[in-house]
Amino acid sequence: MKKGFFLYLLTFLVSLMVGRYLFKPWNMSEVEKAILIDVRLPRILIVSLSGASLGLAGVTFQNLFRNYLAGPGILGVTSGSAFGAAIAILLFPVNYLIQGVSFIFGLVSVFLSYFLGRKLGSTILSLVLSGMVISAFFSALLGLIKYLADPYNKLPAIVFWLLGSFTGVRWSDLTLALVPMLLGITGMLCLRWIYNVLSAGDEEAKALGVDVRKYRTLSILLATLATSAVTSVAGIITWIGVVAPHVARLMVGSDNRRLVPMTAMVGALLLLVCDDLARILTASELPLSVVTNLIGAPVLFTILAKKKGVLYAKD
Amino acid sequence: MLRIENLRFSYNGIVEVLKGIDLILDCGVGCILGPNGAGKSTLLKTIAGILQPKKGKIFFKGKDLTRLKLKERAKLISYVPQEFSLSFPYTVFETVLVGRHPHINAIFGPTREDEEAVMKYLNMLHLEDLKEKLFIQLSSGQKRLVLIARGLAQEGELMVLDEPTSFLDFKNSLLALSVVENISKKLGKMAILSLHDPNLTSLFCDVVFLMKDGRIIDSGKPEEVINSHNMKELFGLMVEEVIIPEGKYIIPDKNALRHFFE
Repeated sequence: MKKGFFLYLLTFLVSLMVGRYLFKPWNMSEVEKAILIDVRLPRILIVSLSGASLGLAGVTFQNLFRNYLAGPGILGVTSGSAFGAAIAILLFPVNYLIQGVSFIFGLVSVFLSYFLGRKLGSTILSLVLSGMVISAFFSALLGLIKYLADPYNKLPAIVFWLLGSFTGVRWSDLTLALVPMLLGITGMLCLRWIYNVLSAGDEEAKALGVDVRKYRTLSILLATLATSAVTSVAGIITWIGVVAPHVARLMVGSDNRRLVPMTAMVGALLLLVCDDLARILTASELPLSVVTNLIGAPVLFTILAKKKGVLYAKD
Repeated sequence: MLRIENLRFSYNGIVEVLKGIDLILDCGVGCILGPNGAGKSTLLKTIAGILQPKKGKIFFKGKDLTRLKLKERAKLISYVPQEFSLSFPYTVFETVLVGRHPHINAIFGPTREDEEAVMKYLNMLHLEDLKEKLFIQLSSGQKRLVLIARGLAQEGELMVLDEPTSFLDFKNSLLALSVVENISKKLGKMAILSLHDPNLTSLFCDVVFLMKDGRIIDSGKPEEVINSHNMKELFGLMVEEVIIPEGKYIIPDKNALRHFFE
């Protein structure tokens, strides 16, 4: 855990220095200092918190669904947020309105999945199914909006938003997203022991005295708050939520008492590295999801291939 | 003492699985013997608090279990499931530690005392060498013992074991039941479990409840209840009773099922 933290700290400092302009910490002008404080610092903070949020939401859903491949978007939060953002870009393209509407639609979509799932019997499977239904529904609506959007002006804005980016994030953008993110992160960290019990399965958790429905609802709520906040600020960021728990699991094992904090750290670190690459690889910034996909997919594959006999044996 | 009164349960509200169970177990090990689909697992799950009965009461040591809070109930009743739940690759130690949950603060997690309790029960079942091994990599017999250790770590006064011999070979079945019998004798705990084998029931249990179609059709000491008449009633099978110095064995008549193929 300590090693991970030092690595994160190092990445944090490096991230402050690199970008369109490479700073030398021993020789900085006033302009450079201003860029550091007003542009890079808020961005790095929000990227770190976003990475932690996505990782934690991923590990939370993996525990709830007892499945390695569950990610933050499994209950439709990303498609809901995407639809919300698209409709805001179309109708009232102001930054904080896009954020707000996207955040609300993220919550709404999970709320719908949850209640649809209860209609089907409140099991894990019914939740997954209703999540699929709601995701499909909002994806369809998003498609409709893209089809209707002005192809020269609005459509590119929607498409870029969907690819995810932290470009132009300022301190003022932090305020709106900070509360749900911190709430989600702290809450999920507090639930780490409960995840051990919940992942034993509904029946066994109940026999061990856990109010399964209460804790499941709470976990879903916290994960959704955090993920929705991330999506509202940065658009859709793929892979981090699935990959971070896997990397962390390799490092500390399955015990959520260690796994959950480690996942937060790995998520923050990974997203920070991806964001740095997005900033420096090309002259203009790359969309973030392009980088996370290019890195995340092969990383996950390597992990799965390396560990196949041991960690992923089902029996 | 465990006392169950007129317990009724149905999964879908239409077909009753438990049709008014009355049962009293004073002490020791009680066994529910019956054919597949009789409702044994359902009965054990209602005792463990996993399923909420539609009607009826379950008293343990004078407390009405159906009215207790989940966590209070989990302190009284330990549950050992029939199937091995395989989710993530937890170590044996971590698996057993989860059993401590009723005694653990949900936010702060387990303390040193909890970890010591886990080691105590791992030692008791001679599992200490396996503690860093992954649960999913163990043999069926070892997995069963680990789950029993988890039930012990829960430190309930009554252990509920759903078919503790399923998936186990000849020797390991004996081992699992000996462990339960010993715990009951040494720690003064009660246990209620379900079995399929009448002979194992005779060997290890103090009281037998014969269960068929959601009802208890007879109960009493094994030597009284497990007889050819009751086995015919329970399984529809002709059996032969063989008296040996240690008790009574029943041997099924292989030809009794011949009509099935005709």
